[in-house]
Amino acid sequence: MSLAPDAPDAPDAPDAPDAPDVPETAPARVPGAPRVPFTRLHPVSPLVRGWAALLVGLAVVLDGVVGSPVPGPDAGILGSLGIQVGGVFAVAVLVVLGNVLGWFFSRYSVDDTAVHLHSGVLSRTQRQARLDRLQAIDVVQPLIGRLVGLAELRIEVAGGADSQIRLRYLKDAEAHRLRNALLAAAAGVEYADGEEAPEAPEREVLQVPPGRLVAGTALTGTVLVLLLGATLLVTALVVTAFLPGVSAQMVLGPIVAIGPGAVIAIVFTVANSFAKSFAFRLAESPDGLRVRAGLTETRSTTVPPGRVQAVLVSQSWLWRRFDWWHVKVNIAGYAQSEGEQSTSAVLLPVGTRADVRALLALVVPGGAGPDGGQAGVDPAVLEAGLSGTGSARGFVTVPRRARWLDPFAWRRIGYAVTDRVLLARTGLLDRHLVVVPHERTQSVGLYQGPLQRRLGVVTVRLHSTPGPVGPLVPHLAADEGARLLREQGTRASAARAASGPERWMQRPVVPSSGSAAGVGLAPVEEPVDVVEGDGGPVQGAGGEEGVQVDGLRGDRRP
Amino acid sequence: MDSTGARVEEPFDPEGVAFRGVSRRLTWVRLAGAGIFALLGVVVAVVLLVVLDTPWVLLVAGPGLLLAVLSAFLVPAQVRAIGYAEREEDLLVRRGVMFRSLTVVPYGRMQYVDVTAGPVDRALGLATVRLHTASAASDAVVPGLTTDAAALLRDRLTAAGQARLAGL
Repeated sequence: MSLAPDAPDAPDAPDAPDAPDVPETAPARVPGAPRVPFTRLHPVSPLVRGWAALLVGLAVVLDGVVGSPVPGPDAGILGSLGIQVGGVFAVAVLVVLGNVLGWFFSRYSVDDTAVHLHSGVLSRTQRQARLDRLQAIDVVQPLIGRLVGLAELRIEVAGGADSQIRLRYLKDAEAHRLRNALLAAAAGVEYADGEEAPEAPEREVLQVPPGRLVAGTALTGTVLVLLLGATLLVTALVVTAFLPGVSAQMVLGPIVAIGPGAVIAIVFTVANSFAKSFAFRLAESPDGLRVRAGLTETRSTTVPPGRVQAVLVSQSWLWRRFDWWHVKVNIAGYAQSEGEQSTSAVLLPVGTRADVRALLALVVPGGAGPDGGQAGVDPAVLEAGLSGTGSARGFVTVPRRARWLDPFAWRRIGYAVTDRVLLARTGLLDRHLVVVPHERTQSVGLYQGPLQRRLGVVTVRLHSTPGPVGPLVPHLAADEGARLLREQGTRASAARAASGPERWMQRPVVPSSGSAAGVGLAPVEEPVDVVEGDGGPVQGAGGEEGVQVDGLRGDRRP
Repeated sequence: MDSTGARVEEPFDPEGVAFRGVSRRLTWVRLAGAGIFALLGVVVAVVLLVVLDTPWVLLVAGPGLLLAVLSAFLVPAQVRAIGYAEREEDLLVRRGVMFRSLTVVPYGRMQYVDVTAGPVDRALGLATVRLHTASAASDAVVPGLTTDAAALLRDRLTAAGQARLAGL
C-alpha cells in the first residue's frame, strides 16, 4: 500500500498497524507521508477537558480555605459545610483523574494511509480513518485551549454514526502541522524526505463584517418572537395601568412564570449562533475551502475540493431588503457526528449575493463541459434561481394545477440543469435554492401521494448524504418528473465518470483554477493505477472509469 | 381546474423496464406483524374495559380495530405493488398504493447490502434485501424475496457495485 509511486519498494510496508502500543522502530519514512508513531496526546489535555470540574473544585476549596478560619458559635454549620466542600472537591478530582486515565490509555498514530486512535480504559477502542476518505479537517480551540495553547484536531471521514477521530488535545502548532501533513497526504502530494508539508497558500474569498452579522442575527424569527413578547408585555402593563379593575398581578403572574426561561433559552441560542459565526472568514486554497470563525471557541475547518455534496442558499423574508443570504452544505459525516444543526455545515452565515456567487464558484467543480468547464453557476441562471419566478433561464416550472397543493409558492417552484449542477428553487416568502453537483447525486426518487395523483403531479428528490440540505422538486408534472428522473440518472453517471480522483491534487489541474484543461482526462494520465496495484477499491475503480470516460464524453459532446 | 389532463407518460412505469414482483407470501408476514399489534391493542382494550368499567374505552378501541382491519385489506395490494428491476447501471425499486414511490439507485453509489430476515420471514423462507448508499434517504428495500433469490440478488448487486464503485 505504498503511496508514493517513486518508492514502490519501500521496506516495512505499513499495512499492519495492529501492534498498538509498540512504537514502530526505525520508521522507513516514505516521502510525503506524514508518519507519527503511536504517541500520547498532550499531557495537559485531561485538565483542559475537565477544566469546568476543576474550576468548580478549586473555587469550592478556596471558599473553604477562606471560610474556615472563622470559628464562631455556629461551628456545626461550618463543619457540615466542610463536608460539602470536600465532597464537591472529591468529585472534581475524580473527574480529572478519569480524564488522566483516559489520556494515559489513548494514543494516536499516523501512517501513509490512515490516522489511528486507540483509546479506552476498560473497553479498548481502535479507530482508524482512511486518508483517501477524508471529508474535512477541523482545528478547534475552546477558550481554555486558547489560553494554554492547545487545540483539538477533528478528522472527519464519511461513515456511519460518529465517524470522527478527535485528537484532544495537541499543541496548537502541532495540530496545524499535522493538519497540513494530513491534507497533503490525502491530496496525494509528495514531499522529499524530512521535508514538512507547508501550509497551503490561501486566498481570502469573503468575510462577514461583525455589523452585518449582528444585524443578520437580529433579523431572524427567534429574535422577532422575543421582540413581539416584549411588546406584548409592555402593552399589557400599559393597559393594566389604565384599567382600574384589573390588577397588574393578574397579567404579570403568568409572564413572570414563563417569561424568564423562554427569554434565556432564546438569548442563549441566538448568542451561541452569533459566537460561532463571529469573525467568519472563508478562504480558498489548493487544499479546498478554509473557514475560520468563532468568538470564544475558534474553529478552522478545511473542506477538500469535491467534498460538498449539496448546497442550500436561503433567504428569510426579513433579509430580503438587504439581499442577504445564508449558505449551508451537506458534507458526508458531519451530520452524523454533530447533529443536523451542526454549525460546521454553514459556509456563509450572512452574505451578499456576490458572496454567494463567489462561494458557488468554489464549491461547484469546474471542468470538462461544452462551455469550456466554467466553475460555479452561470450568473444569469443563479440570478433566476435566487430571486426569479417562472420559466426564465431554463427553469422547468410546475403546472398551474399545482396551486391546489401549494397556493403561494407554486410560481417559484422549479428546477434548472446546467452542465455541472442541478438547481432546485422553492419558497416564495423565504427563498430557497438548492444546488447539487451532478456527480454528488446518490440516488433519485419519485414520490406521489393521493392528492398529487389526482392532479397528475409528482415530487422528485435527489438523495444526498445526511445533512441540512434535502434537495427536492415538488409537484412537477408527471411526465416532467419522469423525464427528470431519467435524465438525472444519466447526467449523474456521466459526471461521476468524469469527476476527479479522491486524492484531489493528483489531477493535473489545480482545482481552484477551474481551467478548461480536461479534468475528464485526469484518470487516464494520473499515476493512480500504478500506485494502488493491490486494489484499493476507489482507485481501482478510478482506472476503469478512466476507460469509460472517453466513450461517455464522446457521447455527451455534440 | 384542469386536473389530470392527458396522461402522456406514466412516471412510475418507465419505458422498457420490466419490474419483477415479490413473493405473495410477504402478505402473510405483514399481516402477522400487524396482527400481533392488533392483538396487543385488543388485550389492552379488554384490560382497560375490565379495570375502568366504562364503555368509553370502546370509543377509542373500536375505530382503532376498524382501522387495523381496513389496513389489513390494503396489505395484499401493497405487496403486489412492490417491484424491482435491475438495469445495466442501476436498481429500480417501486412500491406503494396510495403513496407511491420509485427509487433509482446507481450501483456505483452502493456502500453495502444488507440481507435480513425476521422470525416470520424465516418460517416462510423469505428475506429482505436492503441497498445502502451514503444517503439515508435512498430507501432501496426489496422485501419478500425467497432466501435463494435474496442471496442471488445480493451477490449480483455486490458484483455490480464492485465493478462501478465510486467514492462519495
